[in-house]
Amino acid sequence: MKKRAIYIIWASAFLSYTNAKAQMNFSKDSLALYSDTVFVTANKSERQVKNISVPISLVSGKSIIQAGNTRLSDVLREQTGITLTSGFGAGVQLQGLNPDYTIILIDGEPLIGRTAGVLDLNRIAVGNIQKIEIVKGPSSSLYGSEAMAGVINIITDKKNTDALAANIRYGSYNTKDGNISITKRLNKISAQTFYNYYSTDGFSVRPNSNNRFITPISRTTFTQNLQYRFSDKTSIDGSLRYNTENIKSIIAVANNGTTIYSNGNEKNNDLNGSIVLNHRFNEKIKTKLNTYYTQFESKQDLLTVSGNPYNDLFQQNFKRIENQTEWKINSSLNTIAGFGWIKEQVNSSRYDNIDSAKTNTIKYAFNQWEWNNGEKWVANAGFRYDQNQNFASAFSPKLSLMYKANTHLRFKLSIGRGFKAPDFRQLYLNFTNSAAGNYSVFGAVEAQKVINKLNQLGQIGNLFSNYYQLKKLEPEYATGIHFSAEWEPNQNNELQFQIFRNDINNLIDVQQVGNYISGSQIYSYLNIKNAFTQGFEIEAKQKYRNGFSSSLGYQFLLTGDKDQIASINNGTVYTKNTNGTSRLLRLSDYVGLPNTSKHRFQVKINYENTKGFYANIRAIYRSKWAVANTNGNEVYDNGDQFGSGYVTLNYSMGKPLKNGFAVQAGIDNINNYMDGLNLPNLAGRTFYMTLKYSTQHKK
Amino acid sequence: MKKAIGKGLVVVVTSIFLFSCSKSTTTVVAPLTATTVNDLPADTIIGVTAQGQPYGAGKYTFYSIEKNAIVANTDSATTKWDLAFNGTKILTNGGTSGTGLGGAFVQVGLFDELKTISPDSVFKTDNAPASYAITYGSGKGWYTYDPIKNLITPLAGRVLVIKTASGKYAKVEIISYYKGGATLAATATDAEKISKQRYYTFRFIYQPNGTKNF
Repeated sequence: MKKRAIYIIWASAFLSYTNAKAQMNFSKDSLALYSDTVFVTANKSERQVKNISVPISLVSGKSIIQAGNTRLSDVLREQTGITLTSGFGAGVQLQGLNPDYTIILIDGEPLIGRTAGVLDLNRIAVGNIQKIEIVKGPSSSLYGSEAMAGVINIITDKKNTDALAANIRYGSYNTKDGNISITKRLNKISAQTFYNYYSTDGFSVRPNSNNRFITPISRTTFTQNLQYRFSDKTSIDGSLRYNTENIKSIIAVANNGTTIYSNGNEKNNDLNGSIVLNHRFNEKIKTKLNTYYTQFESKQDLLTVSGNPYNDLFQQNFKRIENQTEWKINSSLNTIAGFGWIKEQVNSSRYDNIDSAKTNTIKYAFNQWEWNNGEKWVANAGFRYDQNQNFASAFSPKLSLMYKANTHLRFKLSIGRGFKAPDFRQLYLNFTNSAAGNYSVFGAVEAQKVINKLNQLGQIGNLFSNYYQLKKLEPEYATGIHFSAEWEPNQNNELQFQIFRNDINNLIDVQQVGNYISGSQIYSYLNIKNAFTQGFEIEAKQKYRNGFSSSLGYQFLLTGDKDQIASINNGTVYTKNTNGTSRLLRLSDYVGLPNTSKHRFQVKINYENTKGFYANIRAIYRSKWAVANTNGNEVYDNGDQFGSGYVTLNYSMGKPLKNGFAVQAGIDNINNYMDGLNLPNLAGRTFYMTLKYSTQHKK
Repeated sequence: MKKAIGKGLVVVVTSIFLFSCSKSTTTVVAPLTATTVNDLPADTIIGVTAQGQPYGAGKYTFYSIEKNAIVANTDSATTKWDLAFNGTKILTNGGTSGTGLGGAFVQVGLFDELKTISPDSVFKTDNAPASYAITYGSGKGWYTYDPIKNLITPLAGRVLVIKTASGKYAKVEIISYYKGGATLAATATDAEKISKQRYYTFRFIYQPNGTKNF
């Protein structure tokens, strides 16, 4: 699944060796719907795209390169049904669900290191990517926590011959990006090395505020993969990835005419390492033993010219051992079973004590059955059970069905339930804000203990009824139903239509549970909210004879907080008229969850000739989204503050030169759309140029 | 403007028509109408501390609901005032704040729909600094504070039910905390957010006959 060598071993059950080789060379940008292309994420094992019964999408490495994307955020911003959120970096919003609910994998292994639930996609360099696989909806629940909205799996490029590739890029805001990748194959060993350096001077777009900021960033990523084949049946894979990031910020606060500068320094680094032992017992049974370790550290220092320095440290590590066995019972029936053990640990200056490690242990097992009658029907059923030390256990079943009406038309129906574990902040936070009113927030595990202690010291004024409801947090659950139709009338046209509905229960929210004797509030976390997202997606791809191709994607999305909708229907939610007086809020004023846009649309037109010259233009539209409550009620409605709908246009072109060299140039955000308040991550018009070299240049 | 005059005429004409039709034997009680107070200063900002905190002179603005007028600070120890404003804090003339019979509570609902104060409702009095009749703090009484945008927004659907210094009743709805009668836009400059804050615009209905009906 990860490496070339495994492909060779693993492919036995479903694919011949040659077939696998052909698939490895896959580089088609579009029209992959009915192909033999291998897709690993949906079924936790290699399957051909045409045999997968859940909604998936695939981004090819070639399209990433041709679009001139360098970070994962650049790539995902241009995909149907995906919106990037801003705040704590660039997060991914899949089908209207927050970044907390999508798991991000590199070669099948989860990335950690989230800030307020957001995994910053800018951290991930895409210079060595073969493809990105996306599974939407909780039918991806075999991956465990966070696989609620979906799974994004980044498959790194494992070239099958010795190769050396390098490129350097220079762009606006003094942005530099450089990659080197080396592949070396000996008889039984194969090794890949990847190195990326990225730095930018940053930009400042915030209008009408004394807070002008630029955030110079530098990032370095190093990846090393190693495979050793003992025999055709047994191999071992090792991989190591290290990423480090330095962010400098200068915050200027104007103070009665004088400006005070604060110098911020943020250093984040993450390390992932895995060792996988693969063994094939016979034609029917294969197994793998996977050990994985990852750690993330984030350190923030803020130095003000006058005043106390602010330091924040967050350290997290994650260890996992997993065994997965696949048994091909007969030509139409296959099962995968696995079990594993996870230990997570967090140390943070925001918990009671930086030195006291907070840990959680998870034991889990999963099982999946696939039935493929070879003609009309494919069915897949599975479940995963997670037993958690610090919060309630989670059961995640899934079921999907595909019907092939004919060779051009297919229907898929899938139902699944995914979960998200309460994070360490929700379990262990022990934070008192002495700068703003001395209020405290206690994690659910700590709250009753700490408050009891405070009560004995006579510091508690009163406790609310929900204090007595504090208990072991339950995981948050999403139940999703997806129906899709896929139609490929001929080689050059492809159309996908998908309807989805996700119901999210048990959402964890912060609530006041009492007061100090001084009147300051005490908060903790409870499972209290229920929400939904629903809508549809359309994706169409066309190829034309003269080298042109195009793709269109549209998503319609409705979201809502069920409890808020009930309150609106009960006539207990108010809003302000423009003259400042109040009135009852109507359901038609309600806009649902914040940061969600009703419409999202993208168009891409691509040209490529036989000599390898290519050019493409991509337009991305996002309609308005609610940003903040400004009219004095707790729901998002038409009277609140919105980010306005916008379009960005990106262009890139490239051409191979002689002796393995190639050039690329492009402009991102041609129309120079900026909104510093609501889109702090969107830079203005950016020009760039890249020089590439590869020993593996194409004919 | 013309439209408004037109509407006014219609109202006047209709009411003349209605009144002329009603029998002179029934006593006509003139309906109470809302009075709007615009841009009442409430310890407006006079400077910013070295730590960046804006501050005022620390004075309250005393207001008489009964007379619909500002009361001089020298009369702060009397029962001449009903409400006193300082930043987001609103005092009533009773408890620890004054010598009057004043008190208040915050009711969730619409100003126009509050026709009668429920007989079992409890008027709280100020008990500084622990508690105030009109609860003080973001999201607790009449406003919310957004620390990122640095703006105070009156909560929708909140009626301040007031007992005046002389023990009569009034209802108040806060419309804005900023000069000009509307909450500033999030994109307003910091300077504007500082200079225009602490100006109350509110509307009220005062019942002079001592009943709890409006």
